Amino acid sequence: MGQLLRQPMRSSSIPPSRGILLRRRLAVVVALAVLVGTTDSRAADWELDVDARVLTANGAKPFIDGGLGTTRFGSDQSGLRLGRARFAISQNLGEVWTLHLDASSWGDRDKTPVGLTEGYLQFRPYPVSGYRLRVKAGAFYPPVSLENRSPGWESPYTLSYSAINSWLGEEIRTIGLETQLDWLGTRTGHGFDLGVTGGVFGWNDPAGVAVASGGFTLTDRQTLLGGRVGQPGVAPLFAAVPFREIDGRAGAYAGLEARYLDRVVLRFLRYDNNADPAARDPVTHVIAWNTRFNSAGLRVEGHNGWTAIVQWLDGNTYIEPHRAALNWPFKASFALLSKRVGHHLLSVRYDRFQVDSETGAGGSDGAQRGHAWTAAYVYQSGPRWRYTLEWLRVVSDSYNREDLGAASLAAESQLQLAIRFALGPLAQ
Amino acid sequence: MPRGGATAGARAWFGRAALALLAGFGAGSAAFAATLSISVQLSNGHPIGGAVVTVHPYGVPAHPAPPVTAIMDQVDRAFEPDLLVIPVDSTVAFPNRDSVSHQIYSFSPPKRFQLPLYRGKPYPPVHFEQPGVVTLGCNIHDEMLAYVLVTDAPYFGRTDATGAWSADVPRGVYHVSIWHPRIREEAKDLEREVTVGESDRGNLTLRLKPLKPAPLEGRPHSWDSY
Repeated sequence: MGQLLRQPMRSSSIPPSRGILLRRRLAVVVALAVLVGTTDSRAADWELDVDARVLTANGAKPFIDGGLGTTRFGSDQSGLRLGRARFAISQNLGEVWTLHLDASSWGDRDKTPVGLTEGYLQFRPYPVSGYRLRVKAGAFYPPVSLENRSPGWESPYTLSYSAINSWLGEEIRTIGLETQLDWLGTRTGHGFDLGVTGGVFGWNDPAGVAVASGGFTLTDRQTLLGGRVGQPGVAPLFAAVPFREIDGRAGAYAGLEARYLDRVVLRFLRYDNNADPAARDPVTHVIAWNTRFNSAGLRVEGHNGWTAIVQWLDGNTYIEPHRAALNWPFKASFALLSKRVGHHLLSVRYDRFQVDSETGAGGSDGAQRGHAWTAAYVYQSGPRWRYTLEWLRVVSDSYNREDLGAASLAAESQLQLAIRFALGPLAQ
Repeated sequence: MPRGGATAGARAWFGRAALALLAGFGAGSAAFAATLSISVQLSNGHPIGGAVVTVHPYGVPAHPAPPVTAIMDQVDRAFEPDLLVIPVDSTVAFPNRDSVSHQIYSFSPPKRFQLPLYRGKPYPPVHFEQPGVVTLGCNIHDEMLAYVLVTDAPYFGRTDATGAWSADVPRGVYHVSIWHPRIREEAKDLEREVTVGESDRGNLTLRLKPLKPAPLEGRPHSWDSY
C-alpha cells in the first residue's frame, strides 16, 4: 500500500534544468524591477522585509526536507536561520485595477531560492449603492484563514501558523479567478456586512498528497508557486509539486462571510479541487488528488485588545491509482486567544489535527493524530522593527513514522526568537 | 469617538445668523437674551459627547450658515477627523498625508463621488451641495470610515464631553435634531420641538439607548490585509 502512495510522488520529482531555473529567476527580478521603476504619481506601493531567527528545536527532519517532522525546523537546524525575506508590490493600473506581487525566500531547499507566493490582478470598482464587487485573477489564497491576516499571509499573533493554515500554505492556492460581492451594511447605517465569494481554479490537482503522506504540520513556510514540498528521492515525503494541472478539470469553491462592525468575522467555505482521482500526468506521472473540505471560522475582537479565533476544517483527499480506492479523511481545528497592550501582543493557541487512512486492509498509511500548543510574545516597536519570541510543542502519533522504523509517537518542540525589519510605504 | 469638526467658523457666524433671523421674527428686543440648551445622555444619565445638534427655527424661513472650507486628512490609513459637520455649499479638501494611495468614495444620496488620492498629488476639494449624512470609505483600505454631515440649519454644533450644547437664539419655536454615527435610534425618533419663550431659555434633554460599539482603537492597519 505504501508503494501505491509513494510511487506517484517519487515520479513527480523531475528537476527543471539550470537554464530554466535561471530564466525563471530573471523573469521575476525583471518584472519587479520594471514595476518599481515606473515611479510616477501612481507609484507602486511596496514593502521589503527580512525576518531572521535564532532557534533551538528537537524535532525530526522537517517536511520540506522530506521528513515527518511537524515543526518547520528540525533538531539539526538549531542556530541562526532565515525566517523569510519578502518583497511585495502593489501597482495601480488605472483607477480600478491593481497588480499585486508577493515574492519570498525561505532560505531552504525549494526548487528556486526566490519565488512568488501570490501574484494576481485585482479589479475593484468603487462600491455602488451599498454593494462592493471584487474580482481577482492570478494566484492567491482562498478566503479561509482568520489568523493569516497580515501582509504576506502572515499571522500577526504567532510565527508558526495553526495546523489548518500551515496546510493551506503548503498545498492550497487559488490559481484562477475569484469573485466576491459584499453588501456594505456598515456603510448604510447598519451594524453588519455580508459577503459571498466564489472561485474557479486549476493547477492545484496534486493538493492533498502532503497531508496524506506527511500529515499536518505547524510551520510558517508557504510553498512558492511552481515550488515543491519534500525533496527528490528523499522518503517518505518524496517531492510533491502542489501547483500542477493534470486532468484539465477546474476546481471550485464557494464561501460566505458575515461581519459585525469591525469586531466579529464569521466565515464558511466549501472547497473542491474536483480532481479526477484516476488521472495521471502522462509525462511526469504525477497523479491528481481529489481534495475537498468544508471550513468555518469565527474571529471576535474586543475594545480592550482581546482577540479570540476559532477555526475548523474537515475534508478528505482521494485517489484511484491502479483502480484501488484510497481515501484519507482529515480534520483540524484550533482556538487562539490573544491580548494586545500597546506595542505588546501575547498569544496562545491550541491545535488538534487528525488524518485517517482508508487505504484498504493491512495498513494505515498516512494516519496521524496530534495536538499542539503555541505561545508567542510579539513586540512591535514601530513600523520597521518587530521582535517575536515563540514556543511551540507538537505531540503527534503517526503510522508512517512506525512504518519507517521510528516510534510512532513524537513530542517535538521549537523555540524561536525572530527579528524582523521592514522597509517601504506599505510597511509604514 | 468622532473627533473635531468645522464648527468653529459656524459658531462665529451664529451672531450673523441670528441677525438674519431677527428680521424674520420681528422681535428684536428679546433676540440675544435667549439660550437654547441641549443635553444628550444615555438612559442611565451618562453624557454623550460629539453628538451633532442641528436647529431650525420652526415656521419661519431661515438661511443656512454660510459655507466653509474644511479639511479631512488621511493619516495612518484613517480619516482625520472622522466626522465633519458643515453647512451646505461647503467644500472639503482631502490632502492625503499618508505614504500610500487612497481612493475616497461615497455612495450616499446627498453626495456621490469618487476621488483617487495618489500620494504627492493635490486634488481639488469636494463640494457638498445637498444636506444629509455622507458616509465616506476608501476603495483600497476597506476599514477606513468617516462621515460628513451637511446641514442647512442656521444653528448647529456638537455636544461637549458633558453631553451639552447651547446657542444664543431669538425667542421662538425650534426644531432640534440629533445625530451620531453610533446611535441606534431611527432619525425620526431624535427630532424634537423646543420653545424658547418668556423665560428666555429653552432646555431639551434627550435620553438614548446605549450606543453601538466604538471602532477598535490601536489595532495595526496591516491586520486588515486578508
